[in-house]
Amino acid sequence: MNKHFSVIVVGGGHAGCEAALASARLGADTLLVTLNISTIALMPCNPSIGGPGKGHLVREIGVLGGEMATCIDETCVQMKWLNTSKGPAVRSRRAQADKYLYRQRMIETLFKTPNLVLRQGHVTELIVENGIIKGIKLETGLIFTCEKIIVTSGTYLNAKIILGKSSWSGGPHNQSAATGLSDSLIKNGISIRRLQTATPPRVLDTSVSLDKLRELPGDVDSGGFTWEDRLRRYENQISCFLTFTDERSIEAVKRHLPNSPLVLENITDEGPKHCPSIDRKILKFPQMVTHQIFIEPEGWNSRELYLQGLTTAMPPVAQEDILSSVVGLENAVILRYGYAIEYDALSPGQFRKTMESRIVKGLYTAGQLNGTSGYEEAAAQGLIAGINAVLALKNKAPYWPSRTKSYIGVLVDDLSIWDRPEPYRITPGHAEFRLTLRDDSAERRLIEDGYNIGLVSQSRYEKILAWKNRIENEIIRMSDLSLLPKTENREMMQKLNTGDLKKRVSCVELLQRPGLSYNQLMGLLEENKELSNSDEVYSLETDIKYKGYAERENERIVQTQFLEKIRLPISFFDPKLEILSQETKLVLKSDKYDDLGQAVRKGSVSKTDLALILAVYGQKVQDYSLNGEEDVK
Amino acid sequence: MCKPKIDTIAAVSTAQGRAAISLIRVSGPKTFEILNRIFVKGGKKAFPLPYSAFFGKIVDPSTKQVIDEVIVTTFLSPHSYTGEDIAEIGAHGNPVVVGRIIQLLIKNGARAAEAGEFTKRAFLNGKMDLLEVEAISQLLSANTATQATMALNQLDGLPSKFVAEIREKILKHLVQLEASLNFPEDAIESIDEYQVGRELRKILNELYIFADNAKNGSLVSEGLKVALLGKPNSGKSSLMNCILGRDRAIVTDIPGTTRDTLEESILISSIPVKIIDTAGMRKPGDKVEAIGIERTLKAVEDAYAVIGVFDGSVVETEEDKLILENLKKLNKNIVLVCNKTDLPQKISREIFEGFKTVDLSCKEGTGLVDIFAVLTDIFKTDGIADFYEMVLLGAQQAAALDKAVCALERAVDGIGKNYQDMLAIDMEEAVRELGRVNGETVDMNTLDLIFERFCIGK
Repeated sequence: MNKHFSVIVVGGGHAGCEAALASARLGADTLLVTLNISTIALMPCNPSIGGPGKGHLVREIGVLGGEMATCIDETCVQMKWLNTSKGPAVRSRRAQADKYLYRQRMIETLFKTPNLVLRQGHVTELIVENGIIKGIKLETGLIFTCEKIIVTSGTYLNAKIILGKSSWSGGPHNQSAATGLSDSLIKNGISIRRLQTATPPRVLDTSVSLDKLRELPGDVDSGGFTWEDRLRRYENQISCFLTFTDERSIEAVKRHLPNSPLVLENITDEGPKHCPSIDRKILKFPQMVTHQIFIEPEGWNSRELYLQGLTTAMPPVAQEDILSSVVGLENAVILRYGYAIEYDALSPGQFRKTMESRIVKGLYTAGQLNGTSGYEEAAAQGLIAGINAVLALKNKAPYWPSRTKSYIGVLVDDLSIWDRPEPYRITPGHAEFRLTLRDDSAERRLIEDGYNIGLVSQSRYEKILAWKNRIENEIIRMSDLSLLPKTENREMMQKLNTGDLKKRVSCVELLQRPGLSYNQLMGLLEENKELSNSDEVYSLETDIKYKGYAERENERIVQTQFLEKIRLPISFFDPKLEILSQETKLVLKSDKYDDLGQAVRKGSVSKTDLALILAVYGQKVQDYSLNGEEDVK
Repeated sequence: MCKPKIDTIAAVSTAQGRAAISLIRVSGPKTFEILNRIFVKGGKKAFPLPYSAFFGKIVDPSTKQVIDEVIVTTFLSPHSYTGEDIAEIGAHGNPVVVGRIIQLLIKNGARAAEAGEFTKRAFLNGKMDLLEVEAISQLLSANTATQATMALNQLDGLPSKFVAEIREKILKHLVQLEASLNFPEDAIESIDEYQVGRELRKILNELYIFADNAKNGSLVSEGLKVALLGKPNSGKSSLMNCILGRDRAIVTDIPGTTRDTLEESILISSIPVKIIDTAGMRKPGDKVEAIGIERTLKAVEDAYAVIGVFDGSVVETEEDKLILENLKKLNKNIVLVCNKTDLPQKISREIFEGFKTVDLSCKEGTGLVDIFAVLTDIFKTDGIADFYEMVLLGAQQAAALDKAVCALERAVDGIGKNYQDMLAIDMEEAVRELGRVNGETVDMNTLDLIFERFCIGK
C-alpha cells in the first residue's frame, strides 16, 4: 500500500468526512484514518441536523459543495421549518436524522470517491520536522508521510466517560479513546485544555406512552437543505413528541444531586452552555419546575428514542428515578444510559481562519478539537480545512470566508479568536449581518465561491446561476414598474386592505406595504410573472420588503469588509504607520490575528490608531470613528 | 485578550510661563520607578503612599546636580485620576526648571503626554465615561461660568446614568426577543410586541427631551447666535455697539457701510450669546455688497434668533416690508426693534403687528433693558435658561444619539407590521448607538445575557 499521501485526515466524524471529501474531490490523494470504520459519521448525541444558525451552515456547506446537506436531505425522517413567524433573518430548517442511514450513506460516498483511501487505525504521533508536518505514526508502528494533515479528533482525545462517581477511559458510545496524539501535539508546542459534553438516556420506543403526549410533526413542504432539494416534498415523516418535567422530577433530581458529577466535581466544568444537563438546569434555575423534554426518533427502524432535555451523567439509578417521574416516561426502559465525556481540545488562539495551525505548518484542525460543539459546526470547519489544505498544496491563495458573506465565515472568524472557556456553538446571535446571511440567500452569496474553489461542477454552477439571475433580474424589473391610481386598482387595493393608491406608486413601495404579495401585484399590473416557484418568490419578496434594512446593514458590511481585507501580520509596513503607538505596531506585525477586523473586535487597536491606519489606507476616517465594538474592554 | 501595553507619560499640568508653582504630572506603571531614580525625598515616610505628599529634591542621577526642591504628591492605582499610579511634582514655576524636570523624566523612561492623554487614560481605565470626558474637555475650555456649570453638572454623571438606564431598558427586551429568535424551541415566553412598542415609545419620548437638551447644550456652548437684520442704515451697527457697550461696528450715515457680517460675544442672563451684525437687506449696489447680502441670508439661516431692526424716524420703505415678509416666513424666534425713538416717529406701527416689538434709542440708551428682557424670556421659554438640564455632546456622540432615535422610531413604527427579527435589528442598533453616546463598553453579546436569564436546553 502507498505510504505517502498529499493529505491525511485523522478522524472520521462530521469534520473528518467533509475534510476528506473536499480534499479528494479537489484532486489531492487523500487518506482518511479513523479509529473505527464502522462508526464513520456517527451521531453520538442528538439525532438532528439544523436549526437557527446551524441550518444556515448546512445550507452553505451544500452550496460550497460539501456533503452534509445532501446526506441529511436523503436520510432524514423529518424536516421542519423553525421561526417562520419570526421573520426571514432567523428562519431556518431542522431535520431529524436517521442516524444509521446517515452513516451508511456517508460511508458509501467516501468509498466511491476517487482519490480517497480509508484506513482503520489509531494515530498516536504526528511527525513534524522544523515546524512542518511530515506524516503520522500509528499505534502499530506504521508510518504514513504527507504534505498536509487535518486532525479531527472530536471528543476522542484522552476521552473519559463519567457516570456518577464512576469514570473510565472511553470515547462516545464506549468506543476506545484516542491516546498518544495529545502528547504528540503538546510535544510540538500546541497547548491543550479539557472540555466536557454529555448526552441523555435512550429509551425503548414501546415503553413510552406517546399517546399521552403532544405530537410535533414536520413540514411536508419545507424542502431540503441542498439547492436541488429546495422544492422537495417530504410526504413520509416521523413525528417527535413533547413532554415536561414536574415537581416530582425536580424532587427526583434533587434527591440524587449528591451523585451528580457537577456536585462531585469529578469532571471539568467547561461544557456547552446551550445544552446543560438536567442537574445543571435545576441547580441554576431552582425556581423552574417545568422543563421541556423532546422525544425524538433515531431512525426509521430504530427502536431507540432520544430524550432531548434530559442530558445527565448522574448514575443509572438516578436516571431511572427521574424518568419514571415524567409523564409518558413512567415505564420507560432505558437502553443506553446518559453519560458525560471529558476530552482534550486545543486551547484558544492556536489556529487561523483557514483552520491551519499557527504553530505547526501544514497541520489543520477542525471540529470539537477546535472547541466547538455540534455536527454542523464540525462539518463546516472540516470543509474549510479540506479546501485550504488543498489550496495550500497547490500554492494557491487560501479561502478566507468573510463573516459578511456566510455563517461559515462568522464561525471561522469567531472561532479563531474565541477565548471563552465554553465550547462555541453557532446561532444567529453571532451573526451581526443576519438579514444578508438569510437562509434563502445561501446560493446567491456563495455559488461563485463554490465554483471558484472547484467543488461545484460546471453544470451545477450554470443551473444555480440561471436560477439566481432569474430572481435578481426580476427584482430589477420590479424596481422599474409602478401601479397607476386607476379605479379598479384602487378598489383592489382596498379589498386587499393594503391602503389607497392616490398617485402612481412604484412596485417596490407597494411590496413593502404589509399584506401585498408578488403574485397579487403582478396580477394588478397584468404583467407576466417571471418567477413561479415558491422559493424564488419568497426571495424576491423578502429582498424587496427589507430593502431599507438591507441597505443599512450593507453600510456596516462595507466597513467590516474593509477591515477584513487588511490581513495581519501586514506584509509591508508603510512608513506612515510609524506614528502608531508601539502596542498597535506590535499587533500589526505579530501573527496573533488573521486580519485587522479581528484585532479591532478584540480591542487590540485603540480608536486613535484605528483612525490613523484607515487614513493611511485611504478610507474615510469619519465612517470609522463610530465603527466596531469599542476599544475599551 | 491582548491588552495593549501602557507606557508612562509626563506633562506640565499648569499653564506655561512664569508662575509661583508649576505642576508636573506623571502617570503610568513606571511612575514610581522613574521617580525613585530622580527624586531624593526628605523624611522617613515610605515612598509612595496613597494620597501623600513628600518633600524632597529632584536630582539628575547622572550629574548628581540638584534641579529643584519640590513637593511630590503620590496617588496609587487605581485610586487616581487616570486609574494608574500618579505622581504630581510641584516645582517652582520657572520654565527652565520645569523643562529640565520634564527632560529628566523622559530620559528615565517616561514619554511626553499628548494633549488630553491623562483624560484619555482615565476613560480607558473606566474612571469616567465619554460624557464625562466631554465634560472635562468643555470645562477646560469653558469661557463662561455657565459653560463651566454645565460641564460640572455633566461630570456628576447624571446624563451618563440616564443614557445607561435607557440602554439597559431596551436591552432587557432585546435579550428576551433574541432568546426566542435564537432558541425557538426553548419555551421562552415570546415578547408582547405591543407592550414592547408602548415602552419603546415612552423611551423615545425621554430621548427626545434628552436630544433637545443636547441641542441646547451645543447651542449654549457655542453661544446662541442672534442675527441683526434690517435695511441699510436702520441702525443695526449702532444697536450692536449699544448691546456690546463699545464700538465694534463702523457707524456712518452712509447706507451699506457694513459689508460683511460681524460677530461678537456677550452674556445675556449668564447665557453666552453671539450677536451677528449683518450687511443689511437691499438690492446690492456692487459685487462686494452682493456677497455681503448672501452672507446675511446665511447668517439669518444659522441664527437661533433674529432681531429685526427698523428706523422709526422715517416712513417705512419697500425694503422694510420685504424684510418683514421674510421674517414672517422664518420659523425662528423673532424680536423687532423700533430704533431711533429719540427722533420724531414717522413709521406706522401697524406693520409690526404680530411681533414682539421693543422701542429703543441707541443714542439715549433707552430700551436696551427691554431687549435683554425679551431675549431672556425667549431663552426661558425654550428651556435654554435651565442649563442644569443641558447635556454636552461631541459631534460623534450627537450622531450616535440621532441614529439611536431613528432606529427606535423605526422599531415603534414596525410594531404589528414587521417581523420580530426586524424589531430585533432596530433595537440592537439603538442599544449599540446609545452605548456610543456615553462610550460605555459595548459588549453586544446578548447571547451571554440570554444564558444568564433563560434556561436554554433544547
